[in-house]
Amino acid sequence: MTDVQQTRIAAGAMTADTAFRVRMRRLFGVLQGMASNPATVIGLVVIALMLVMAIFAPWILEPNSPDPYQMPRDWGAVRKPPGTPGHPLGTTNEGGDVLYGVIWGSRTSLQLSLMVVGSTMIVGTIVGSIAGLVGGWVDEVLMRLVDVFLSIPELIFALAIAAVLGPSFGNIILALAVVLWVKYARIMRAQVLQIKQHDFVDAARVIGDTKLNIYLRDILPNAVTPVTVQATLDMGNVVLIGATLSFIGLSEAGIAEWGVLVSEGQAGIASGRWWASTFPGLMIFLWALAFNLVGDGLRDALDPRTEGR
Amino acid sequence: MRAAAEPQADDLILSIREVKKHYPIREGALQRVVGHVRAVDGVSFDIRRGQTVGLVGESGCGKTTLGRVIAALADPTDGGVHYSMDGAMCRIDRLEGKAARTFRRNCQMVFQDSYASLNPRHLVIDLVGRPLKVYNEAASSDLVERVVELLDQVGLGRQHLYRYPHQFSGGQRQRISIARALALNPEVIVLDEPTSALDVSVQAQILNLLNDLQKERNLAYLFVTHDLSVVRHMADRLVVMYLGKVAEAGETQAIFDSPHHPYTRELMAAKPDMEAEANVEIRGLEGTVPDPARPPQGCRFHTRCELATSACGWEVDDVVRWLEDAPGMFEHLVGVERTTEFAAELAFDTEEAAGLLSMAVRSEQVPEAMRAAMRRLNLDGTKVEIEFEDVGEVELTARDDGRMAACVLAPQEVASWKSP
Ligand SMILES: Nc1ncnc2c1ncn2[C@@H]1O[C@H](COP(=O)(O)OP(=O)(O)OP(=O)(O)O)[C@@H](O)[C@H]1O
Ligand code: SF4
Ligand SMILES: [Mg+2]
Repeated sequence: MTDVQQTRIAAGAMTADTAFRVRMRRLFGVLQGMASNPATVIGLVVIALMLVMAIFAPWILEPNSPDPYQMPRDWGAVRKPPGTPGHPLGTTNEGGDVLYGVIWGSRTSLQLSLMVVGSTMIVGTIVGSIAGLVGGWVDEVLMRLVDVFLSIPELIFALAIAAVLGPSFGNIILALAVVLWVKYARIMRAQVLQIKQHDFVDAARVIGDTKLNIYLRDILPNAVTPVTVQATLDMGNVVLIGATLSFIGLSEAGIAEWGVLVSEGQAGIASGRWWASTFPGLMIFLWALAFNLVGDGLRDALDPRTEGR
Repeated sequence: MRAAAEPQADDLILSIREVKKHYPIREGALQRVVGHVRAVDGVSFDIRRGQTVGLVGESGCGKTTLGRVIAALADPTDGGVHYSMDGAMCRIDRLEGKAARTFRRNCQMVFQDSYASLNPRHLVIDLVGRPLKVYNEAASSDLVERVVELLDQVGLGRQHLYRYPHQFSGGQRQRISIARALALNPEVIVLDEPTSALDVSVQAQILNLLNDLQKERNLAYLFVTHDLSVVRHMADRLVVMYLGKVAEAGETQAIFDSPHHPYTRELMAAKPDMEAEANVEIRGLEGTVPDPARPPQGCRFHTRCELATSACGWEVDDVVRWLEDAPGMFEHLVGVERTTEFAAELAFDTEEAAGLLSMAVRSEQVPEAMRAAMRRLNLDGTKVEIEFEDVGEVELTARDDGRMAACVLAPQEVASWKSP
């Protein structure tokens, strides 16, 4: 290998590293922007704690067998108040440990949020992109469909679907996904329509880059900000709507899920047994609040008027 | 596909032939097409190797639209842009595969807004290196070296590789755009007002850079601008556009020495002392530009031309335009029934208004040429019948020494005319 080749390779390695560092610095700038907002920091901390709880659930509390997502039953200790030995947050009517529900319920909620938001974001982004890029009658048909979906209130629509499909946790995920993808489709379409007008898209066409590359390199990266913000907000909102559906009995009984626990515990509130629904209710509230705080912070940090200028 | 070969000089790169670009105007819930904006309406000229063609005209005359058609960013409604390849002229919108790529590489574009034309999320290395990647010309460390070379040519350097567009000044950003356009070593670059967003001193630097690059690489430029002083120093040939058509074309120096079209004359006169004030933009001529969806008959410039004759295309619309401008007249007009563009019956709601109009069009209130073109004027109660001489379009015709102008007047008549 000649000296020239060697220095060139060295230069390549160094420069690839430089590009990476520069990009990381930009990302870091966004994070810094978020860190300067106390509400966002609180949200991030709460989310981090929830994630730790979900990840380490099997080490915090021994999983119930055979199905760890079912509430354990301690028939010897039903309706015990918080502070009872072995049941620090009390028990439910069926002797379910409320603490177990709170901790393992974070896994269920995370699963619900990730599955619903993940699938709706992907489907919505694809549909919105196609509508915006292709235009014409394809756009027309897709957007009429979106309009129909959007004309029905979210909760009622999800409720109807879940009711038709039958009560199960899986069906709640499905119902929410069916209802929520249209939001992303609409946001994405508007973004694509706006961004494809930009001169930098024409500049890429003049170079002769392929349509797919132009979409992936120019349009998509400049379009994802509002989708990301919406997804963050929905991570919280989805758990709220899911809890509502669970609350009216569209989920499975006995499952370690916050909404179900609130629903099953609410009958006891009148007789003074507040704990069975209050603790899981608090978790739902914290979860939704935390993601909304972070979503708002993200929106400000990614504001196109300030970002990177 | 290859169009029939036409005789050509060796150095011909692009031949623009009768190019039209009409945008549909849609209205109503059904989005029915109710008309067309004739942004470009039959334009022809050639671009040769090493040559700069200046495309000038007021805002909205179709310069950008034409530039986009030439860069194949938009398909023409009619006519075509022919590209010289392997000794034949091929229509660019019919090229496929390898031939299309060859054209793409050889015709690049620099946009007016340097910020908008650079992806804000890409680093300079991504932006300038992208054309090289698209055509697999370079990768990794080789790519870096090629990009550094290009940056060097436009007066930037290695230290700028890993910066975002927003970290540069407007002039530097335009240099990045130019470097990107140069990457594939094209034959021709369409420059759409490349300096109009820049400060005067920076403008001069970029123009010098463009001149140097042209000499080095024997580049051809289509220089789109509304700044005549810029074009005077840049362009070998000029194409002056008005409302989608060519008003005048020819050697830059010859046109500046003696414009053959009154519009060109006005454009130049509208710039107070061009040599001293090198960067004052066209001040705007008298009168408003007519709607490009309904261009005037005859000569499109006749509504604003101080030299207009009776043969310049006076028509019913001129009467309607006069009514629009005359205080308190237009609201009395209740209907216009045209037989042709040149003959119509105008209905008013009062006999008085009809009488006023027929008086006005016989008086000093309208141009003398318009009165001379009037064949018939008949007042009948609330109705006014009016008819003008039916004339064809004023075509672009060849003059002496290879110049073209679309005007019924002889060059010396334009030259000798003195503003009152
Ligand atoms: N996409 C479009 N749809 C409809 N009309 C258009 C479109 N693009 C341009 N036009 C119209 O075509 C005409 C010519 O526009 P164009 O941008 O080519 O003018 P221009 O000479 O570049 O003007 P400027 O000096 O302001 O840049 C204008 O009347 C404009 O409104
Ligand atoms: S033809 Fe010549 S004189 Fe007549 S209106 Fe046009 S520019 Fe003026
Ligand atoms: Mg323009």
